Amino acid sequence: MRNTGISGDIGCTVEELNAVFLSRQIADGERALVGANVPVPRAGVLLAHLHHGPNMTIMLAHTRTNLFDQPVMPNFVSLTDWRQSRWAESQYIHYEVFDAFDKMTDLFAVGALQVDPFGNSNLIGMGDDCERLRFRGPGAVGTPSAAVSIGRYYLYVASHDRRIFVEKCDFVSAFGWGEGGDHRSRLGFPGGGPRYCITPLCVLDFEERTKRMRLHSVHPGVGVDEVVRSTGFELIIPGRVPQTDAPTAEELRLLRERVDPHGVLRTRD
Amino acid sequence: MTAAVRRRERIIGAAEAADFVHQGMTVAVGGFINSGHPMPVIRELIRRKVTGLTVVGPASGGLDLDLLVAGGCVRKLVSCYFGAETLAPISPMIKRAAERGEIAIFECDEGMYYAGLRAGAQKLPFLPTRAGVGTSYPFVNRALKQFADPINGEPLIAVPAIRPDVALLYAAQSDAYGNVQHVGTSYGDRALYRASDRTIVCAERIVSNEEIRRDPAKTSIPGADAVVRAPFGAHPFASPGFYLADDAHLREYLTACSAWVKHDDRGPLQAYLDRYVYGPEDHIAYLDEIGIRRLVSLGEY
Repeated sequence: MRNTGISGDIGCTVEELNAVFLSRQIADGERALVGANVPVPRAGVLLAHLHHGPNMTIMLAHTRTNLFDQPVMPNFVSLTDWRQSRWAESQYIHYEVFDAFDKMTDLFAVGALQVDPFGNSNLIGMGDDCERLRFRGPGAVGTPSAAVSIGRYYLYVASHDRRIFVEKCDFVSAFGWGEGGDHRSRLGFPGGGPRYCITPLCVLDFEERTKRMRLHSVHPGVGVDEVVRSTGFELIIPGRVPQTDAPTAEELRLLRERVDPHGVLRTRD
Repeated sequence: MTAAVRRRERIIGAAEAADFVHQGMTVAVGGFINSGHPMPVIRELIRRKVTGLTVVGPASGGLDLDLLVAGGCVRKLVSCYFGAETLAPISPMIKRAAERGEIAIFECDEGMYYAGLRAGAQKLPFLPTRAGVGTSYPFVNRALKQFADPINGEPLIAVPAIRPDVALLYAAQSDAYGNVQHVGTSYGDRALYRASDRTIVCAERIVSNEEIRRDPAKTSIPGADAVVRAPFGAHPFASPGFYLADDAHLREYLTACSAWVKHDDRGPLQAYLDRYVYGPEDHIAYLDEIGIRRLVSLGEY
């Protein structure tokens, strides 16, 4: 294992920085789903809850709960580890998610094998022949439904290179902004689309009118040219690109003491 | 002499349960990723070398589906996730078979999956989803058709009905009459029950009818056609309220698979199947092979 500490001056890892960025996107009172085996989005949601979200509802392993007063959060790694139900205030049957997705969660994090300039993403697989994919992924679970049903979502990728950020995905599973512009509203989708794409190098957002991907901020120690080099399509680069805001001492304390006491975000295989 | 008129008990063995399944059928398998799969019947189907099955897995399937593929039982899979979370980011045998074109996959997401099951239950030809519009789904799965809804003219996806011949489920308890109660949420098992012609449930324990009547609101499947007594019946997967997934055993399986996938050596997988599937004559012999010490160590707390 190696430490992924990125910069002495902010004193945290890229994973912690990204979890903090996500947590700041979540407001008190919101409902948020915590997936299993997605450590950064999980930490982001739980940090928002503990830091500024006493009225949030957390969806955890097919239950809903509020963990604000829980002193510790054991990191159960399996979505089907039923010990998590000890905190449940209610349970939901899996298909109820799709009966009223917007009532289950206000936001969602979606991973991707590929992402295109309009935030459309691929969890199906790679190749030319869909009946015999060169690489078949594990499947898109419920993300295609989430992408058209809930208020907003966040793309999260654990690496940033030209194989992931491509001009055109081999296949699209989660609709982003489609062909850009008003494509989403023309199709009548109630959901709000991807808000940010969070990567190990930077945070990307979408230009308001065209919905093309734009550099929002670079992580400490990362240059704009490195992001451009690592992206397989042309990004919109604003005149001034800020650095991603560093975590506060209080955010880091909560993250390390209560959300991630085992240091999953501080180590990497 | 006429037989006394009495309520018929529905308890059968795993072998009789497997008799419900024939080559080429569509079979639903319940549970969710690393939990709640009806393993005594799954292993019996592999032991019998039943082939050509269309397997409607859980919305998120686990290594139970991978084992069926490893056993050569599967022609086509319907599910939206094939993996074991941190144990395996992707199911090895399913990935291999899909990439080689040996099995077909009905590509869909979980919203489409439940729409198809709901259409099956309602005896409708299809039900619509918004999920999939503007994506590759209608192209990678030709059974999904985009159409203009006749009310507002919006583009939607028609998901054809999914109608399994038999649903194989696992639950915490049942009485002898097929009144089944899960611990936990029951995942998508109720949707599989409603869509399927017949349902067989492996129950961790059989309880009295009075026990069921103590809390009828807990009855999740009110009419299983048959019930299999299956203590440790979800092993090596978890049973909510009873035991955790046997991660060490699942890793043993995954290690055996990777010898084949990475080194083209089928020996370890064949040894796994011989030891745990083909070798044991029945579920109790399988549990003997796992060993009481391991089984008891998995108790959930």
